[in-house]
Amino acid sequence: MAESNSDASHAGGLVKTLRPYHVWALGVGIVLVGEYMGWNFTIAKGGVLGSLFAMLVAGTMYTIISLCASELGSATKLAGGPYDWARLFVGPGAAAIVGLAVYMEFIALEAADAIVVAFIATEIFPQLQVFPVTLLVIALLTFINYRGVVGALTLNFALTMLAFFAIITFFFATAFGVVETHPGYLLEGAMPNGLIGLFAALQFGPWFFLGIEGAAMCAEECKHPSRAVPLGQQAGMITLLVGAAMTIFLCSMLIPTDTLGVSVYPLFEAAQNGGIFIFIALLGLGTFLTCIASANGCVCDASRSWYALSRDEYVSPWFAAVHPKYSTPYRAVIFTAPIAVAFAFSGYLDQVITFSIISGLLCYVLIPFSLIRFRKLFPASTSKVRPFAGPLQPYIAYFAIGIALLIMSTLFWGYKYNLLFGLLFYTIAYFYFSSKRKKSSGNEPIWSELGWPDPETAGSQHIKEVTGIECSR
Amino acid sequence: MSAAGNTTVSSAGNTSLNAKYKSKLNMDSALIALMLSLLYGVQLFLVYSVFSATKPVLLEFSGLVPVYLLFVGLMFFIETVGCLKVRQSIKQHMHEFRYYD
Repeated sequence: MAESNSDASHAGGLVKTLRPYHVWALGVGIVLVGEYMGWNFTIAKGGVLGSLFAMLVAGTMYTIISLCASELGSATKLAGGPYDWARLFVGPGAAAIVGLAVYMEFIALEAADAIVVAFIATEIFPQLQVFPVTLLVIALLTFINYRGVVGALTLNFALTMLAFFAIITFFFATAFGVVETHPGYLLEGAMPNGLIGLFAALQFGPWFFLGIEGAAMCAEECKHPSRAVPLGQQAGMITLLVGAAMTIFLCSMLIPTDTLGVSVYPLFEAAQNGGIFIFIALLGLGTFLTCIASANGCVCDASRSWYALSRDEYVSPWFAAVHPKYSTPYRAVIFTAPIAVAFAFSGYLDQVITFSIISGLLCYVLIPFSLIRFRKLFPASTSKVRPFAGPLQPYIAYFAIGIALLIMSTLFWGYKYNLLFGLLFYTIAYFYFSSKRKKSSGNEPIWSELGWPDPETAGSQHIKEVTGIECSR
Repeated sequence: MSAAGNTTVSSAGNTSLNAKYKSKLNMDSALIALMLSLLYGVQLFLVYSVFSATKPVLLEFSGLVPVYLLFVGLMFFIETVGCLKVRQSIKQHMHEFRYYD
């Protein structure tokens, strides 16, 4: 039996060749950079205990989000990921804002990663300049993604494995006493800002895992999505939880907390403080490779989100073309390049990154909500509709929504205007797209094109009245 | 080839396919078990290291320890049950969707 029910409807569409390790490479590749840099702002806000608290709370939320993404991704098998889940189970307004949020989240991250790669390159080779190197990195990664998803994600697998291997070897060497540690640093910087700091640290907790939900966005290109997506996604989530714990241990044992809180490359700095050349080289290389892997994964996910929005005519359908030879959404892939360059050289990169986090948190409210709606519309778990059913649902989905709102509320400490601007932007987008889609025709659900039966009658009528949901293919 | 011969070849093929599927499922299960073991080991090691080094602060804020332990427990429990469900799903659908062909 063919697994993908949508094979026929996507004939001449995206190629279905990806395996679980590609899913892992996409998810971990995008996120691991957050463990090499950025997460340490949790230390600046809440000290070591604040960082541990932020990692555990965010880790619990992302574990649930990963399970939701596994279930939704393996069920729908569509490239848009969170956008398609919101489109099918919530409504067009929510779909549009999730699609835009995912696009913004990954494009902003790609721009930031490309700039960091350029900075590292200029530190190694001072004769180089940041601007041309950033352009070169973005152009090169766009070309790799244009040529084919298998090549792009196989490259990501190699880069990410090397970067993760660097963390693992450094951790075990440190834990077994090869590297001298300073447990006194932990007590000195345990909780410098008290309980307020503990909660303020939560706003940077997502750095450890931001973007892991993107792993499920390659479901449409997987050979066996009902195996590849849950296995790759969960393996990826565990990898990040392990990496996060190792990173906190290494950095807090080797760097004084006041320095750690403002460090640009904390893992590399920890290796430098450890004083063993092989680890300095490994972690330096890891920092560089993980930025490339992250930018590469971001091109892949951002282009799929744009492709899905285009396929459903939320944006110009011109972007929905698939390359006849490489089977990639090549116009959507190429379109990521000018947008990433514009973000990179806007001069407001820190604001762009904060916007990326707000966009991500919005997705973490709407992904579990999509799952709750999915469970209401299709309560039966059959092979066709729900080949993978996550545990403890929908209770943990409600819990994840609660944590996402809690983390979002902590952004009021320091990022009040960014948060208000972000919410205003997405509110306007919601009403604009809701009203636009209501006026257009073809807003009836066509579940059979996914190979699904009609949903439960009560739920179906309700969703039509409320949202006029569309399933246009 | 005779009908009996065909049946024998087909039966041998099925046995070999079943053995292959069982072996591949075991590899997936071993991967999941390995990842979970690493997760428990590293997370507990971190929590133990941080708690033992920051004992004076944690004694001052005694209500914090149960909150940390609650989230550690929740994370372990949800991830473990999730992984078991992944294995169960693969086992249930592996022949139907021909995962390992």
